[in-house]
Amino acid sequence: MALAARSIGDALVTIAGRESVRDDASSLDSSIIDGARPRFLVRPASIDELSRVIALAHDAGLAAVPRGNGRALELGNPPAKVDLVVDLTGLDRVIEHNPDDLTITVQAGMSCGALAALLAPHRQSLAIDPPGLATRTLGGVTATNALGPLRARFGGLRDLLLGVRFVQPDGVVTWGGSKVVKSVSGYDVPKLMVGALGTLGVLAELTLRLHPLPDLERSWLVCLDQPQAAQELVSRLVDSSVQPGRVELLNDDAARFVLGESGSAGIAVSMGSVADAVNEQGERLAEMAKAQGARVLALPDDFWSRVSDAMSPPAGWTVLQITSLPGRLADTLEAVGGIVQAEAPGAEVRLGGCATLGTLRLLIGGATVAELDAVITRVRAWVGEIGGGVVVASGPAELRRTVDPWGPIGPGALALMRALRDEFDPRRVLNPGRYVRGI
Amino acid sequence: MPLSGPFVQELERIVSASGLVRTLEGRLVYECDMHTFYKGAPDVVALPQRTEQVVEIVRLCRREHVPIVPRGSGTGLIGGAMAPSGGVMIGTNRMDAILELDLPNRCATVQPGLINLSLTRAVASHGFFFAPDPSSQMVSSIGGNVATNAGGPHCLKYGITTNHILGLEIVTGAGELVRLGGKAADRPGYDLVGAAVGSEGTFGIVTAITVRLLHAAEAVKTILASFTAIEDASEAVSAIIAAGIVPAALEMLDELMIRAINEGTGAGYPKDAAAVLLIELDGPAAEVEAQGERAARICWERGALEVRVAADATERALLWKGRKEAAGAVGRLAPTYLLQDAVVPRSKLPTIMRELIAIGARHRVQIANVFHAGDGNLHPLILYDDRDPAELARAKAANEELLRACIEMGGTVTGEHGVGLDKAKNLPLQYAEADLNFMYRLRRAFDPDLIMNPGKLLPSHPACGEGFRPTRPRVPDGAWI
Repeated sequence: MALAARSIGDALVTIAGRESVRDDASSLDSSIIDGARPRFLVRPASIDELSRVIALAHDAGLAAVPRGNGRALELGNPPAKVDLVVDLTGLDRVIEHNPDDLTITVQAGMSCGALAALLAPHRQSLAIDPPGLATRTLGGVTATNALGPLRARFGGLRDLLLGVRFVQPDGVVTWGGSKVVKSVSGYDVPKLMVGALGTLGVLAELTLRLHPLPDLERSWLVCLDQPQAAQELVSRLVDSSVQPGRVELLNDDAARFVLGESGSAGIAVSMGSVADAVNEQGERLAEMAKAQGARVLALPDDFWSRVSDAMSPPAGWTVLQITSLPGRLADTLEAVGGIVQAEAPGAEVRLGGCATLGTLRLLIGGATVAELDAVITRVRAWVGEIGGGVVVASGPAELRRTVDPWGPIGPGALALMRALRDEFDPRRVLNPGRYVRGI
Repeated sequence: MPLSGPFVQELERIVSASGLVRTLEGRLVYECDMHTFYKGAPDVVALPQRTEQVVEIVRLCRREHVPIVPRGSGTGLIGGAMAPSGGVMIGTNRMDAILELDLPNRCATVQPGLINLSLTRAVASHGFFFAPDPSSQMVSSIGGNVATNAGGPHCLKYGITTNHILGLEIVTGAGELVRLGGKAADRPGYDLVGAAVGSEGTFGIVTAITVRLLHAAEAVKTILASFTAIEDASEAVSAIIAAGIVPAALEMLDELMIRAINEGTGAGYPKDAAAVLLIELDGPAAEVEAQGERAARICWERGALEVRVAADATERALLWKGRKEAAGAVGRLAPTYLLQDAVVPRSKLPTIMRELIAIGARHRVQIANVFHAGDGNLHPLILYDDRDPAELARAKAANEELLRACIEMGGTVTGEHGVGLDKAKNLPLQYAEADLNFMYRLRRAFDPDLIMNPGKLLPSHPACGEGFRPTRPRVPDGAWI
């Protein structure tokens, strides 16, 4: 075994160079995933190096975990095996930015913050804003399908990823999609890669659709502490021709985290457009709020970055992504609130979510694994009735060993997912065990 | 290979005699889609009315190794819904019900044979619409839109079909009835809905579709700008996009097309223009107003002859009528044409339009243009007389050269029509062996015996006739022994 270990190390060094391969105790300790300590940490500097590292893992029967900035390692089941952590932050180059086409091709290890800085002078952006965005890598947010308030207007990465270069589990570099904003030539491979947690291939290069930044963006909080009232406002908003950028629900604790004592539960709405349209739509929002007798707060410019902080879990907290239906928002809020109160009475709770889609992000602090297990099981049963679900986006390994972090999947769909995984990664080289049902 | 008697009897048991088309003259109706160049009649056409019947048919065909070709309204443009190797065609026309309108959740579930426009008509009184609007929307089926991932003029702002599909019920090539996705967002696991939309019937047959409904915009403004040179119009398009304006639609017509349309529908496009831009903005009234002014200013700056704003809904409809009937109007110019669907990065529009004119001159063919300029999606119609084989050869050569030019500029083979039989041979221009190999294997997860719409979407390998074989990267020798 010692000989094998040494020679794999030698092979990695041959591929990526001595500086990029670590097997010292401190590097490996800092790369532990759910208690599993890798044998090597490798940081390829090119797609070619990445492909050869993965090919080696494939041939040598090693389990490889692709890692960006390591911000989503608590998503999914604890890994079945970790031999190699593949740090992708060395792949951080811009391949091609075409500002006039509103497209960019970048390597997947680039951070979202670096991308935003690069695009700002062009008054363009990648229209996603998941919590903690700035420090996450583009590959990471794509592989985990990370979502934030802007999805209300722009959809998610599935709607923004035009093309993708990835390394298949046997090391073959593969391209799917196109570099233009519209293409139907062949299967839509990029869609398959979004949210696949790198189990069909390690994301290496992404071609993304960009959006122009609006002339002006303003935001308001309509304070509504009753779920029914919140749902009513959202219905009014959606049934009007107002075109909001974000329609984000916040509970009391989340609103206070963001706004201090003046904060209270409600729906935060942003409008981005030409100045006249923003102001006019703001007035219409105010009228809708007035019709419900609700208070409206104009929000500061840094409001959404503070929401992002509020929705990022403090250490030891658990994050549940709950999907329901927009028409059942009030019911869901009441049910979730009741369940948390009953099952985890001492817990701290922050809640946000995209009100127009009926998706919630629930942060729970100070609850035991048994309490969390009970919350998840009961919320799952409740939203399951209407076709929704609960995913543990982040939480202690013990919780994710106790309860399925992904939740049920229909048998037909699961069989197809397993067939895909068996076809492309029969040896389970990439992220073994972590994805749905351990496939 | 003709189908056996017992096989046809079994089909008849499933869909009854009235659900089966067996006669030659009956089957010939189904021998091609709107790309009439490719012909292939199925051995039999089955017209099921229920999902269970589809399941039974697919299982029967799988057992007997008979190919299946799904078909909606047959308005595709790619040689997709036709049967080059015979077999059973499954027509979805009789499965055309709206299964559920769920307005509180802004979605609807429909059967695949439902006509695209029928859905919008059913929800319009509530202020909603179904966004994908291919020019065929009055006759094309939603199942067909899903199969080809259809686009349309307004997909510039609203996205193509895939952006509006929440869930699918599909009978896979393995004969399994599977539900993918659904009304609620963010389901765990692979995005199989995303993979299945645009798979052109090679994964299976879709039997129910859950679609997202959008709320109609507050205001709409349609602007017509005419130019004396197509390069000026192309530059105006690039400048509009670069200015951060996202119109709902941004369409261009060239001189030849303008003439054909004017002679036909009397759309009233300026007669002396070499190019016309149709710019439609929608959204909040104030935004539409401001962006409309900006777009008009850009057109003037690029030397527009005239910038006209549709005064009312009637005038708007007339401007669009010409555009929507373009493909038909071109029949006045030549007996037939080759239709391209390639895409270039939109900033390359001025370059490709110059190239296109040169290619037409080089091959002595007329090329009429009507296209979705806003997303760089070209629809050049290469005109030829099918009674003249030499002219057809020149048209084909021009077609090929144009396609290569688009790919070289970083474009794609097809933007919204799909691949079908027509463009399968072109995919290797855009994809390497590894990429095609990945697609082959993806397909097999849904259709292990390759009975679903064989010969479509993917090219067959010139050497071995099956999957492409990628080269694996080299790893250091003997490292793990």
